[in-house]
Amino acid sequence: MLSGIDYFVVIAYLTGILLLGFYFRRFVHSSKDFFLGGKMLPFWAIGMSIVVSDIGAQDFVGVSGQAYRYGIAVGNFDWIGSVPAMLLAAFVFIPYFWKAGLYTIPEYLGRRYNGAVRTLASLTWIIFFAFNLGVVFWASALLLKALMGWSPWFSIIVTATVVGAYTLMGGLTAVVMTDVVQMIIMFIGGAAVVVLGFIHVGGWTGLVDKVSTMGPEYEGYFDLIQPVDTQTPFPWTGILFGLTFVMANAYMIGNQSVVQRCLAAKDEWHAKASMIWGACLKMFIPILVLFPGLMAVAVHPGLEDGDMAFPHLIATLLPPGLGGLMFAALLAGLMSSIDSMVNSTATLWTKDIYEKFIVKNGSDHHYLMVGKVTTVVLLVFGVLTSKVSAGFPGLYVALQTFLSFFQGPIFSILLLGIFFPRITQWGGLAGLVGGILTSFVLHLNQDSLFTIQDPFLYVSWWSFVMGFVITVVVSLFTRPHPQARLEGLVFRLAPGKEATDMGKSLC
Amino acid sequence: MLNFEWLAGVPIAAARWVFLGLFMLIGGLVWLVPADYVFAGVKQRRWWLDLRWWGTGVLAMIFVTYALF
Repeated sequence: MLSGIDYFVVIAYLTGILLLGFYFRRFVHSSKDFFLGGKMLPFWAIGMSIVVSDIGAQDFVGVSGQAYRYGIAVGNFDWIGSVPAMLLAAFVFIPYFWKAGLYTIPEYLGRRYNGAVRTLASLTWIIFFAFNLGVVFWASALLLKALMGWSPWFSIIVTATVVGAYTLMGGLTAVVMTDVVQMIIMFIGGAAVVVLGFIHVGGWTGLVDKVSTMGPEYEGYFDLIQPVDTQTPFPWTGILFGLTFVMANAYMIGNQSVVQRCLAAKDEWHAKASMIWGACLKMFIPILVLFPGLMAVAVHPGLEDGDMAFPHLIATLLPPGLGGLMFAALLAGLMSSIDSMVNSTATLWTKDIYEKFIVKNGSDHHYLMVGKVTTVVLLVFGVLTSKVSAGFPGLYVALQTFLSFFQGPIFSILLLGIFFPRITQWGGLAGLVGGILTSFVLHLNQDSLFTIQDPFLYVSWWSFVMGFVITVVVSLFTRPHPQARLEGLVFRLAPGKEATDMGKSLC
Repeated sequence: MLNFEWLAGVPIAAARWVFLGLFMLIGGLVWLVPADYVFAGVKQRRWWLDLRWWGTGVLAMIFVTYALF
């Protein structure tokens, strides 16, 4: 529980974040300022924002819990599951997205393929983010209650109010700049736990020695690469094909909350550099969220629930003062996740749905107000549905499963669309729909088709393959697009004004 | 086939080299990117603004991580 100095740390953090959001209010005059930070953001801030938005408060518990159960193989998700994809994004996709002047990834799909692909992709993300808000609110609030004793509703209301205030005032600029502060706090809080943990277990050598003597079930506990017949969900084939080749790329290239930040970069170089800088920071994330789980095996062996590893560890290790810092770090994780989802969803709704179907030729001020109203509505929706998510404990898994159905197919049409001019709009639409249907079929029959538990990596890979094949085959049988329409949207086809105008009119 | 059983006979040491080889391949591809493309948007070219070096640095970090673990 928190002491006086802990409360001081938490209140100072919340006040600082609010003041920062208030400061950035002066830069928001148009919808471009609100959704894309006026295209003025530097690479270092974007890179930090990308990374911190990816780690929620519950990840400290969830990832360390998985590390407690399965070992260091969980680190694959932040290492090989991020770095190659972020380099591909930096050198191939992001420069084209940035030069095309996009607001959303579905907007690219609309210009490259057609409006149906754009709407389907956009609605997918809107539904996922909107319902995920409540789940993240409630899961994090329960975590904060368990760790610090705050009531769930108090945590949710405080978080929603602070996030709503700075997101509404400063738009994406405030989101990114507060993320920078939140990342620093998360790194300091997380590092404190890791350093104290290493002192407690006798350093890395002491940790390995202790765990290695605990029995044969811990054999391979410090191996990143697991055999094909492993009982963990992370065989090296799944990591390579499902995670590295598909899910990581789909997340880093197709996720609006990630890419929107790069679209806000001040120039093309900053857009590329932000992804590589983010990849560098990503290398350190497992140290913060995974190592506590490994240490907990040595400090608190035999826990029935791996997710209790992190709470037990910080209760054992952290002195007064650092408890408040860790609480602020968890709040930072929660806020950085919420602000990203809210801002990205507001952008998707305003640009892909509202501007396209509801009010087509409104003023810029009108769309700015729609973005702000959507931000408030989403936060209220997230708060109201948070309690509902508590009544459906499988909702988090259901949402993740729902998103995983789309990851492989969306990446297949992004990949083919940017590299091959011959790919057509009907090929893209058929590939997307066919890939999603493949995911459903594989998921429904997973017990009979797959041998490992929770085969989401394999489902992603095979739905990607199916989407890829269908897109290619249908494209070969349909009429190719004129080159003028593809300029600026396909690798090594330079953008032209005619092409941009044509693309905008078609999507 | 869906479970990649046909790769079950691959030793872990060889699988590790698949990962390490992938990092080396990406490193090679990074250096195939033309300098003009890498420096687009930069007013004055400096070697520390060459993103190919940045990419190589990150790949070196992940290469060492997978070689060790």
